[in-house]
Amino acid sequence: MERNRVNNAERTGASIRFNDVGVTYPNGYTGLRDVNLSIEPGEMVAIVGLSGAGKSTLIRAINGLVPITDGQITVGDVELRGLSGRRLRQLRSEVGMVFQSFNLAKRTSVINNVLMGRLHHTAAWRTLLGAWSKDDVELAMQALERVEIVQKAYANASELSGGQQQRVAIARALAQKPRVILADEPTASLDPPTSHVVMRDLQQINAELGITVVVNLHFLDLARRYGQRLIGLRGGEVVYDGPGSEADESVFESIYGRSLTAEDVLDARPVVP
Amino acid sequence: MTSITADSPATRPRKPQTWPRTLVVAGIVVALTVWAGIAVKADLGDLIRNGQNAAGTLIQLVQPDYSFIVETLPAVLETVQMAVIGTAISITIALPVSFLASRATNPNGVVFGIVRFIMNVVRSIPDLLYAAIFVTVVGTGALSGIMALVMFNLGIMVKLISEALDGLDRGGQEAALASGATWFKANKAAMLSEVAPSYISQTIYVLELNIRASAVIGLVGAGGLGMLIDKVRTFYQYHYLSTVILEILVLVIALELLSSYARKKLVR
Repeated sequence: MERNRVNNAERTGASIRFNDVGVTYPNGYTGLRDVNLSIEPGEMVAIVGLSGAGKSTLIRAINGLVPITDGQITVGDVELRGLSGRRLRQLRSEVGMVFQSFNLAKRTSVINNVLMGRLHHTAAWRTLLGAWSKDDVELAMQALERVEIVQKAYANASELSGGQQQRVAIARALAQKPRVILADEPTASLDPPTSHVVMRDLQQINAELGITVVVNLHFLDLARRYGQRLIGLRGGEVVYDGPGSEADESVFESIYGRSLTAEDVLDARPVVP
Repeated sequence: MTSITADSPATRPRKPQTWPRTLVVAGIVVALTVWAGIAVKADLGDLIRNGQNAAGTLIQLVQPDYSFIVETLPAVLETVQMAVIGTAISITIALPVSFLASRATNPNGVVFGIVRFIMNVVRSIPDLLYAAIFVTVVGTGALSGIMALVMFNLGIMVKLISEALDGLDRGGQEAALASGATWFKANKAAMLSEVAPSYISQTIYVLELNIRASAVIGLVGAGGLGMLIDKVRTFYQYHYLSTVILEILVLVIALELLSSYARKKLVR
């Protein structure tokens, strides 16, 4: 009966708009400066840049993990600035997040980790007793099926390999039935083949469910291959915004401040001819 | 044979001299000890002058009267019961309080500060004083002993568990919060399972502690073996006293074996 809840998204992805967004951290460090972006519903966007360029800040600003200090971010029709409490949690429940270090609770089962995506919709007493509703368990199982790891549902999260853990994290984000998925360097802790598996999962979710996907990537070849659109950040500012296929050597120089080396690509072969 | 050193090795550093600092620290420790000994008027002479009286006591002490064991059994049982009940009550209260007493799980600075302050007060009062207070409140016997143990345990448990929470990997919690969960839900879903091994391990530790403590708090009338110790000591029945001490020793060793076994099983 609930079979199609994950497979056919009830709503399509949400748009994300940045208007003159700035983030200054309490210690005075500028994370983002004058960022203007318009990400359409169902787009898959890759963000590239050096460490410290503001990739993480940009992604974390979208779900309010990092508060913005200037401008406005609009997700769907919700304005983010100044959002707190119940309304912030409401927004976050529609935005799934995948982290570099997987961020699973290691001493509990895979299914319990996926069910964390349902916490927003679960009553406090149910959470306390661990009495998940049947629908939520079904939803979590379907999410695990999508990332092809359902056979590990009752294994402990710590028993899984890195790639498997990241797929569980993707299933957890899916269980939210999100309109947006944010992925903060999802492949940085993985080896090259596993990186491709995880990126393909994200790509499929984007294509089949219409969920807007924003992903931070360190490696340029991954970004060009999986991001329909590529956004380059440098020093907290957007220095490139366009199709990945059009990002040539000069674009990379503007993002990285130097020409491309083997360290900037995941697979040890040149991406830029 | 080829040399393992590089062609042009860097000059090796000279081994740093640490003995002057060691000497100074040792000197300070000795000086402090001597000063403290003089200040409290500890006189080794007393030990020799009163040795005559001690001899009789010692001879009785090394001859425990095993027939006394039968009479002690109710007190032994009471001690174990007090320890178990005291542990059960205190760990139940300590778990939620610990989540309030850790910065990792409580974002509210005011509540955190108040809970920390109260727990510092609770922990600063020794178990014997709790026992004395509760004996005057509810009278002598096991109830006052249990109440004293609960207060004593709360201080320890909350300190240890909240510190364990502080040291946990908070990734799961971050993910839960990012999905729109409240702190309460995120802590339950992502932090409780992670702190469980420390919680179980500290519970066993506190149970062990309670067996020892219930012997002491009995001295002021809070039930268990301690009350028995107080009785036989008052009548100078040192051969009975040594029997009771041996029983406590056996209890503690048994519990230690049990706890190290349980810890191995539980905390992998």
